[in-house]
Amino acid sequence: MSNLKRSNNNTKVEFSIENDPFINFRDKSPSRWILAHILNGSNKTNICIVLITTIIAAMLSSTLMIIVGETINDLLLGKESALLINILLILIIGIGAPLMRIGNFMLREVIAQRIERDTRKEFYLNLLGKSQSFHDQQKIGDLMARTTNDVRMLNYLISPALSLIIESFTSLIIPLGYIVIFYPPELVIIPLIFIFTFIVALRDYIKKIGPITEKLRGDFGEMNIVLNESISGITLIKSTVQEAREKHKYLMTIKGYRDAFVEQGKVQAKYVPILLLALMNTVSLAHAIILFLNNSMTIGQIIGYLGLLSEFRFPTFISFFVFAIIKLAGAGAKRLLELMNKKTEIDENLEGESRKIIGNIEFENVSFYYPGFKNRVLQNISFKIKQGQTLAIVGTTGSGKTTLTKLITRLYDVSEGRILIDNIDIRKYILKSLRSQVSYIEQDVFLFSNSIIDNISFGKKASFEEVRNAAILAQAHDFISSLPKSYDSEIGERGIQLSGGERQRIALARAFLVNPRILILDDSTSAIDSKTEDEIQKAINKIEENRTTIIITHRLSQIRWADLIIVLKSGKVVAQGTHEYLIENSPEYRKIFIKKFDLEEDKLITRSGRK
Amino acid sequence: MAFIGLDAEKYDRKYNDIDLFKRIYKYFRIYKRKIMIVVLLLTIASLIESFLPILITLALNSLQTGLNTQYLVTIIIISLFFNASSFIINYFQQINISKAIGNVILDIRKEANDSILEHDLSFFDKNPSGKIVSRINTDSQEFGRALELFMEVLSSVFIVIFYTFIMFFLNLFLSLIFMIMIPAFFIVAILFMKAARRRTLLGQRATASVNAFVKETYSGIQIAKTFSQEKKLFNRFDQVNQQSYKVNLKRAFLLNTIFPSLGFIQAFVLTLIIYFGGISFFEGSIPIGSLNLFIQGSWLLTFPIFSIASFWPQLQAGLASAERIFSLIDTNPKVIQIDNIKPKNFKGKIEFKDLTFEYEDNKKVFENFSLSIEPGESIAIVGHTGAGKSSLANLITRFYEFQSGDILVDGLSIRKYDLSEYRKKIGIISQTPFLWGDTIENNIRYCCKNASETDILDSLEKTGGSEWIDDLPNGLETNIRERGTLLSMGQRQLIVLARVLLENPSILILDEATASIDPFTETKIQEALEKVIKNRTSIIIAHRLSTIRHVDRIVVLKKGKIVEEGNHQFLMSKGGLYAKLYNTYFRHQSYEYLEKIKELK
Ligand SMILES: Nc1ncnc2c1ncn2[C@@H]1O[C@H](COP(=O)(O)OP(=O)(O)OP(=O)(O)O)[C@@H](O)[C@H]1O
Ligand SMILES: Nc1ncnc2c1ncn2[C@@H]1O[C@H](COP(=O)(O)OP(=O)(O)OP(=O)(O)O)[C@@H](O)[C@H]1O
Ligand SMILES: [Mg+2]
Ligand SMILES: [Mg+2]
Repeated sequence: MSNLKRSNNNTKVEFSIENDPFINFRDKSPSRWILAHILNGSNKTNICIVLITTIIAAMLSSTLMIIVGETINDLLLGKESALLINILLILIIGIGAPLMRIGNFMLREVIAQRIERDTRKEFYLNLLGKSQSFHDQQKIGDLMARTTNDVRMLNYLISPALSLIIESFTSLIIPLGYIVIFYPPELVIIPLIFIFTFIVALRDYIKKIGPITEKLRGDFGEMNIVLNESISGITLIKSTVQEAREKHKYLMTIKGYRDAFVEQGKVQAKYVPILLLALMNTVSLAHAIILFLNNSMTIGQIIGYLGLLSEFRFPTFISFFVFAIIKLAGAGAKRLLELMNKKTEIDENLEGESRKIIGNIEFENVSFYYPGFKNRVLQNISFKIKQGQTLAIVGTTGSGKTTLTKLITRLYDVSEGRILIDNIDIRKYILKSLRSQVSYIEQDVFLFSNSIIDNISFGKKASFEEVRNAAILAQAHDFISSLPKSYDSEIGERGIQLSGGERQRIALARAFLVNPRILILDDSTSAIDSKTEDEIQKAINKIEENRTTIIITHRLSQIRWADLIIVLKSGKVVAQGTHEYLIENSPEYRKIFIKKFDLEEDKLITRSGRK
Repeated sequence: MAFIGLDAEKYDRKYNDIDLFKRIYKYFRIYKRKIMIVVLLLTIASLIESFLPILITLALNSLQTGLNTQYLVTIIIISLFFNASSFIINYFQQINISKAIGNVILDIRKEANDSILEHDLSFFDKNPSGKIVSRINTDSQEFGRALELFMEVLSSVFIVIFYTFIMFFLNLFLSLIFMIMIPAFFIVAILFMKAARRRTLLGQRATASVNAFVKETYSGIQIAKTFSQEKKLFNRFDQVNQQSYKVNLKRAFLLNTIFPSLGFIQAFVLTLIIYFGGISFFEGSIPIGSLNLFIQGSWLLTFPIFSIASFWPQLQAGLASAERIFSLIDTNPKVIQIDNIKPKNFKGKIEFKDLTFEYEDNKKVFENFSLSIEPGESIAIVGHTGAGKSSLANLITRFYEFQSGDILVDGLSIRKYDLSEYRKKIGIISQTPFLWGDTIENNIRYCCKNASETDILDSLEKTGGSEWIDDLPNGLETNIRERGTLLSMGQRQLIVLARVLLENPSILILDEATASIDPFTETKIQEALEKVIKNRTSIIIAHRLSTIRHVDRIVVLKKGKIVEEGNHQFLMSKGGLYAKLYNTYFRHQSYEYLEKIKELK
């Protein structure tokens, strides 16, 4: 495996594929990075062809002007015989130019669309490799805007923007050359002055349009954030009747975008090169006439000359939106690189251990704070469980239970101390190897908007039989079979079309299917009734006696089976032991369980007594 | 695979072009004045543009025939003036165009967003939010293009008419030859038209698919990590992305061949003009300057004629987008109110009468379901997963429409209330709590803008104290990220609870509101909850039977049917399903049970 290509020394990634040709360009400037994309692979030939065809097309166009001019001269000179040859030339050249353009357009589209595809791929891949703490901080709407729309800007950068620039450039240069070659050389002076002032004016324009384009891209991201979030929260919005507020919120962001758009219009309105072009047109006409009067030019030549100058119209008029696009693309690229260059903490660690996990887990003085936060969520946690045992973690809300389990799958890395699995620091394992042997069923179940079968088999390619067995284990088979499309039912975004308990069971089945060495259940049955839960529990116990299990739950019915229970409070282990031991010896433990029932039973008695 | 959707969405519809135009016109009408100004400017610009070659023609004719310096100078000065005016025209044109387009896009986005917020939940069940976002934010951009095109075509029409007029005036024969160009252009344009719209539509769908895919996988990134399935996502992404590439490339190919194909026609016409023009010149029937005008015309008019001819096909992209957005706006809600009675305050009687309900055809959740809840009563609904508990809540809040039977609140069908007023009286905690990527304070305040800080602290206090909030970096001001992912699940539920307590509704529905909260914290809440529940109709859904023992009545639901009801004691003494559940799974958790174990030892 060519590790060198996968990552360079200072970037860590949790996931990569073998070939990343742009790795060394991301820390360069946006334009350098884009250039790397443009010059990538087979694009090079395409670019050469595009360049050549553009030049040829421009030359053909200019030649056409000259020939037309000559034809008129011939007419004026009365050369009837030349007419046929001339128009034949005109026809051939006239057809040749668009022919060139067709090829040219096709290829430039290929390049443009490829760049869109490849940068999007690069960006997506890169984000997949970022750690959870990075993703915690992102807003989904903004990521969407970047992945879809900012990337699209790079497409527009190539086609039309850069291709038009090349075309403009050639249609500035080639006519100049022709003027020098075919006409009195002094005619070139005025166009030259024009080009010079044009460039100066253009630079000024670009400088002005820059900040606005950045605002436009940023505002677009903002629009996506707001819209996306309000669709996610639609239930809440409806139940609290806050539609008006959400409408207003969105309205404010689109107004921001509109204002930037209008602002852009204002800058474009003051586009000076149009004025320069006007001056040039007039002055050069006068110049030509003077030369004619001095007998150094013919009428045909004037026509040809003016025809050549008319080629300048094109660059002048397109520049003002082309450079807006270029700036927009630049702003987009900046936004892409900004995220891609964020450093993350965890690396896939390809050279690490990949051995089969047996299932002994040990926490050695583990402390943790979430990156960027000051207070410790976990403090000096130490405990040890053996292969095949069950660990239960209990504790009040926010005491750090979920956090603790996330450390085992290395969603986050410990801040101090270490976690050992089979006596090896988990940071020494290949990340993929570790994670694929540890299954974590999250508290906040996430399902994809695919079919049920796709969801269950997410962790591993599996036959239908395997999927069905996992579903049976999770007590999900019955309800799945009762659905009209059974395992092929689509379940909507986040599984919205299922009930809470059904979602949890799909998540359970998904974890069971991979048959992990270590299974972590984070309150995974909170929405499941006790009867079903108990059946699931039995099933789990039956199949894999040797698997290490960690459960977080508030249900005593599950805890009592555990070999070890640890009681967390504000991130510290306040007690550990078996149920019997803790009932006897830990006031904290008793508080969590007994007190409640104590209290309730009392109430029940007083209540019924009153009645 | 669900991601690779290039098909139409269910709510997509076809509009005929006339209707579409009428509708698009409605958006533009508001900015009539700006648009008129621009059209006027464009017309002036076009006149000038057509006039410039004429000036040159005059100059050349005068050079050919003999010299008149003053005449030439005049021409040059006029030409300077005309040329320069294009700058001023561009100035006003840009300013007005960008305002008009900016506003039209704003309006359409606003309307689309307004309308989707009114759609009922069945709409959101079926439609990935990524695609909706793409429609509203991305397609609207295309919509603005339609306006640009429209103005372009108008000015083109003026140029063409004006120029043609002059040409006919100068030479009939050559003009006729020149006119070949027009039908030829139209034929090309029409040939491309249909394909253009179809490919554009596909292109937009492919983009929307990418959007939906990335949205979903970014949201579920943690799952990809824990299952180590980044590769799988990446491969799927590759497919969706590749699809978008292919579809959009095809579209670009098509649109890009139109221009050059017109070049062929142009070359052909130019050749004819010069040939016949040359012959006419030799015959002496046309001066050289006029011939030049025709030659210039073949360049000058290419773009205007083309933009007229291609107006229709080009507009297809805009129309496709318009169609996509209008479909979104026009989706008929399924939840329909038949009256708009504004309730003052509910006493809180709720009756389900012979209710039949299904989310999808042929999968009934309730059939002839009846239940009556008295004002002020607290009722618990228990039952196995998928029994229909949350669905009941969804129906009361009117998120979904039921098929037959009725639901009455205070004796009136809930279809007859004004929906906003009605929902304001009902407080619900949904099974999946949702929080905004905003501060804790704003999240709690969400329902009630005017709540004071003390109100907020009060309601937090009721949820068992707010000490834990002080541990957060900025206390109440802490931004808890989208969906509240900065907080633990239990903490999220506490915030949601505080929010509802602040709302102080007439009818309260708690759907597993404390499922992720540990029993210790729950007991702390319990007292407050009991106070809240008192004297107000409340429906509590919970699996943890211990949480619901204090309610007035417990309803046991099984597959959408009530199998038992009564209070805890009654049900226990009845010895039915509830008693069985309780005895098997909860009794052993109770204090008594633990005591017993101790004794046994
Ligand atoms: N939006 C939806 N679209 C289609 N079917 C749905 C939808 N929501 C729920 N269902 C189905 O309706 C039935 C009842 O679901 P409901 O959410 O009411 O169950 P529940 O009793 O709340 O279960 P749980 O205890 O698991 O939350 C289930 O079979 C479920 O699959
Ligand atoms: N991604 C995160 N970034 C920063 N802080 C976090 C993050 N996730 C959780 N926290 C904080 O860490 C603490 C512990 O959270 P954790 O989710 O581990 O609690 P828990 O014990 O699982 O609680 P619950 O029983 O409610 O699920 C909480 O105070 C929470 O606010
Ligand atoms: Mg947790
Ligand atoms: Mg439910």
